[in-house]
This record gives sequence, structure tokens and C-alpha cells, in this order.
Amino acid sequence: MTTATIRRGSGLGFAMPAMLLLLAFFIIPVAGLLMRSVTEPEPGLQNYAALLGSATYAKVFFNTFFVAGLVTIVTMLIAFPVSWALAIMPSRWAAILFAVILLSMWTNLLARTYAWMVLLQQTGLINRSLMALGLIDQPLQLTNNLVGVTIGMVYIMLPFMILPLYGVIKKIDPAILQAAALCGATKAQALRRVLLPLAAPGLASGGLMVFVMSLGYFVTPSLLGGTANMMLPELIVQQVQSLVNWGMGGAAAFILLVVTLGLYALQLRFFEPKEGR
Amino acid sequence: MQKTLLALAATMTIAGAAQAEQMVFTSWGGTTQDAQAAHWAAPFTEKTGTAVVQDGPTDYGKIKAMVEAGAVTWDVVDVEFDWALQAGAQGLLEPLDFSVIDKSKLDPRFVSDFAVGSFYYSFVLGWNPANFGGEQPATLADLFDTAKFPGKRTFYKWSAPGVIEAALLADGVAPEDLYPLDLDRAFAKLDTIKADIIWWEGGAQSQQLLASGEAPIGFFWNGRLAALAADGMPVGISWDQNITAADALVVPKGTVNKETAMRFIAEATSAEGQAAFAAASGYAPINLESADLMSPEVRATLPDAQTAVQVNADMAYWAQHRDEIGNRWYAWQAQ
Repeated sequence: MTTATIRRGSGLGFAMPAMLLLLAFFIIPVAGLLMRSVTEPEPGLQNYAALLGSATYAKVFFNTFFVAGLVTIVTMLIAFPVSWALAIMPSRWAAILFAVILLSMWTNLLARTYAWMVLLQQTGLINRSLMALGLIDQPLQLTNNLVGVTIGMVYIMLPFMILPLYGVIKKIDPAILQAAALCGATKAQALRRVLLPLAAPGLASGGLMVFVMSLGYFVTPSLLGGTANMMLPELIVQQVQSLVNWGMGGAAAFILLVVTLGLYALQLRFFEPKEGR
Repeated sequence: MQKTLLALAATMTIAGAAQAEQMVFTSWGGTTQDAQAAHWAAPFTEKTGTAVVQDGPTDYGKIKAMVEAGAVTWDVVDVEFDWALQAGAQGLLEPLDFSVIDKSKLDPRFVSDFAVGSFYYSFVLGWNPANFGGEQPATLADLFDTAKFPGKRTFYKWSAPGVIEAALLADGVAPEDLYPLDLDRAFAKLDTIKADIIWWEGGAQSQQLLASGEAPIGFFWNGRLAALAADGMPVGISWDQNITAADALVVPKGTVNKETAMRFIAEATSAEGQAAFAAASGYAPINLESADLMSPEVRATLPDAQTAVQVNADMAYWAQHRDEIGNRWYAWQAQ
């Protein structure tokens, strides 16, 4: 135990620069924003009352969680087979696939979002190809709605789900699945009762990361979604940039922060890494 | 960011000097700011030796934060006129020095204590002729008529003078009866086409939506349609009831380069500066003497040539009701 204590103590020292940076450029500004949310335009909780009391803003809150939840689920569904494939394929192939995934992650977010706009619009590549193939008569509405937001965000979030999931699946001993098969489990049973429970920590940490990042995303929903799917970050931008209402913007930002921290606390409670015990 | 830091360093070292070696001009980016840099900033630097650092995009939240923190790094900012009037009343701006800026030559529609016009523009009906076979759209009523002209229509996303007025005019309100704005009636009219609206957030996006046919008809800044036409794209433009609005040049309160900022505004609003900018951007000059410096071909494409069918958005009304309209606008969008 003593070695652990020493290690923890010196670790704190190494973390000091990062902590100071966070204090100066994150904690203090956020505290300032919080102050504004209860002092502007006048002292009191009226900004929070307005945010939580109006049907419009309630819809924005609902949209925020609904879109983030939908994006998380779709990302999980796509990322799981990819991570599994990455874990079992020859390492040379896996390296190439990883490079592709990381390369997309390193490409400018705005450029990727605009690329989706071009692909998804009514006169875009996807609609024109589908029409040329005779699969549809009328172009599908793929942007300025929930479909566009979901596609654009899932694409951006995939690496954040694949990487933790791959890490967990890679550690699963393939012999366990063989054992399941030998004991008579079908493929579906092996997936549901063996692989999924073992991969759960990866799904949980990846899912939380994607969900929380989706809650705070602005660019992609703003460009690929319609105003009917407006999310909280867009509301904050409107309040601060267009209406110069820091009080209301601060209140919305603070609610988003509390929700995020709450989710993080939940994860710590239920999915605490086992090595720590 | 780097530009801002540079400017910050520069302002700190020369604080107190009457003639700064450097100042910061902030605008909205894109082709408009390119034209401002070429036709206002470059001649200004040549005449005074003061370098002009370009920054952007304009952000009202940032201006307010800078002024309140007493750390103003933007010396002259291009803003929307209604915001300028509101911000002036809220004490966020320096009063302009009209001993340096000659306001006798400026269009009085676009002059106030805290702001002078940067340029003015019109919101106009535009369409892609390829999408409409027979009859072409002509009036604002056509813009709201999805039976006659089906398809998505695109409008400016942010709360600003223009779209509300267009809805009321399309609904039959006479131009002289527009103000005070009947918001209930305007939103009821907008409701009739809400499902068909695609919002554009910036000029480039509006051009893309129209050119691709994603939104074959819409309500645009005239300069953006002029640019598409100049690129050889067939564009339909109707000036009928074109609605004018303006950008303004303002000086955030507390800048150490106040005198330099005033001189820059004097240069930007000069007859030559305004004429050259108008020719490059397709937006109209606010200096009354600029027209004489421009060719008839250029003048014919500007809102200046369309005053007979023009409706002026009431900037003072907007400045007073900006927050109220804005809150309602965004709530309506999200519904």
C-alpha cells in the first residue's frame, strides 16, 4: 500500500501543470459563467425558471437527450462488429483499418460535415445514385432533419466508440468463446451470454463518451439538422452570440455541465475499473 | 487567435500613442471582408502607415465580454445596424467623432451617434430558373406560395430585420403599415411554409443551396446573388419590395486606439472607399458621392438602382425590440 501512496503523491505533482491550466482556463471561466447565470439581467434564478418552465426549451432539452441517445445506440450497433473484426483479423489488416479510422478522426470536423452536406442533399451523390438505379422516384430528405444529424454525428463519434471497445474485446481470450461453443452454445447465445457481458465495460465507457460528446455538439447538428431538432448547444449560441444574453446562455451551459458530471458520476459508480479494487 | 494575440501585444506596447502602428478590424469573413481589406484597409495603411490586422468573425457576445473586462482588442467592428443602435444605447460603444468622420456626405438613413453605415444591402427574392418550367416567381407572395412554386425555400436563420417584414408584405400588409411589426401575423404566415424552409446561416451557404437546387427559391442578400450571376450561373432576381438593411461600423468602448479607429472609419466611409467596395461586393455605398465614381453598369446591379420598389427595414424599431423579437423567433424555430 505504501508504494501506491507514494506513486499517487508524485503523480499529483506531475499533474500540476495540467491542473493549473484547467483552473485558469476552465474552472474560473465556468465559475464566471455560473455567476452571470444568476446575476444577469438581475440577481435571481429567473434564467433557470425560464429555461425549465417553457415548453419550447423543454423540447430543446428533450431533443438534446433524444439525439444524443439515438447517436449513441446507432454508434454502438456499428462499432461493435467493427471492433470485433479488428480484434480477430490479422494484425496487418487491423493496422490498415485503424489507420483509416484514425485518419477520418484527424480530418477537420467542418470539412467532414460539409462533405456530408454535399453527399446527403437532394441533388447529392446518394440521392442521384439511388434515383439512377431506379430505387426511388423522388429524392429522399436526408439533410436538415434528424436523419442528417444522426448520420453526421455517428460518423464523427465512431472512433470514440471503436477504440475503447476494441481495447476490451482484444483482451477477451478467444478460448472462452470456443469453450462456449464446446458447451453447446449457439453463435447467438455465445454473443449474448459470453461476448456481450465481457465487452460491457468497453460499451459503457465508449457509450458514455459518445453520449456526453453528443450532448455538447454544435457544428454538426447546426449544419445537418433543421431547427425543429434544435439542441442545447445551439440554444446557447443563439443566446450568447445573437441576443448577447450571457445570463440565459450561462444557465443553459450550467445545466448541460451538471448533467454531464452526473452521468460521469454514474459511470464511476457502476463501471469502476476492477484493477483499482 | 494568433492575430488577436498579436494585436493585443501591439496595443499593449504602443498604448497611449495617438497614432497607433497597428489596429484591428473585425468583420464577417468571406468575400465581403476581402473587399473591405482591399478597398478600405489597404488604402488606409498606405496613407497613415498604420497596419490593419483583419480578425473575425464578428461576435456580439465577444464584444460585450471585451468591453466589460476592459480588454478591448477589436478597434473597428462591422456589425448589423440594429445591433449597433442597441449596443450604443447599452453603453458598449464609443461615440463617433464626427470632426474626423464627415457625416454630411453620408446617407442619413445610416448615421447615428455610435454607428455609421458600413454598406447597405437588400434582401431580395431569388430563384433558380432551372427549377421552374413555366411561370417564374415575381413577388414576395410567390415566395410563400408553395402550390404555385413548390419546393424548399431558404431564409436567413438568425433573428434580424428582413424575413419578418417579407412575411407581412407577402400577407398583404402595406409597406407604410409594417411598423410596429405584427408578429402574430408574421409567424402565422411563416407557419404556412415552415415545413418547406431550409435556413441559411451565412452567405456562402445560401449560394450553395440555390446553386445546387436544394432550395430552388429563397430570400437572399443581393450581393450573394450578384456573385452567383457573375460566376455565370443563371439566377432569377426580383427586386419587387426589396427590403433594405445595413451593416454598421462601430468602435467598442474602451479601445486604446480610439483616434486611429475614427480615422479608419473616415477612410472606409469616404466616397472612394465606398465606391470601390460596392463595385467589389455588390452591396450599396452609404456615401452619397460614391455613385458618381462608379460605372453605370455597376450602379445598375446595386440596391441603389431599386429605390422605387424598396422597403426600408426600421432599424430604430428593431434596436428597441431586438430581444423580444429574437426570443420569439428562436422559440418559434424550435417548435
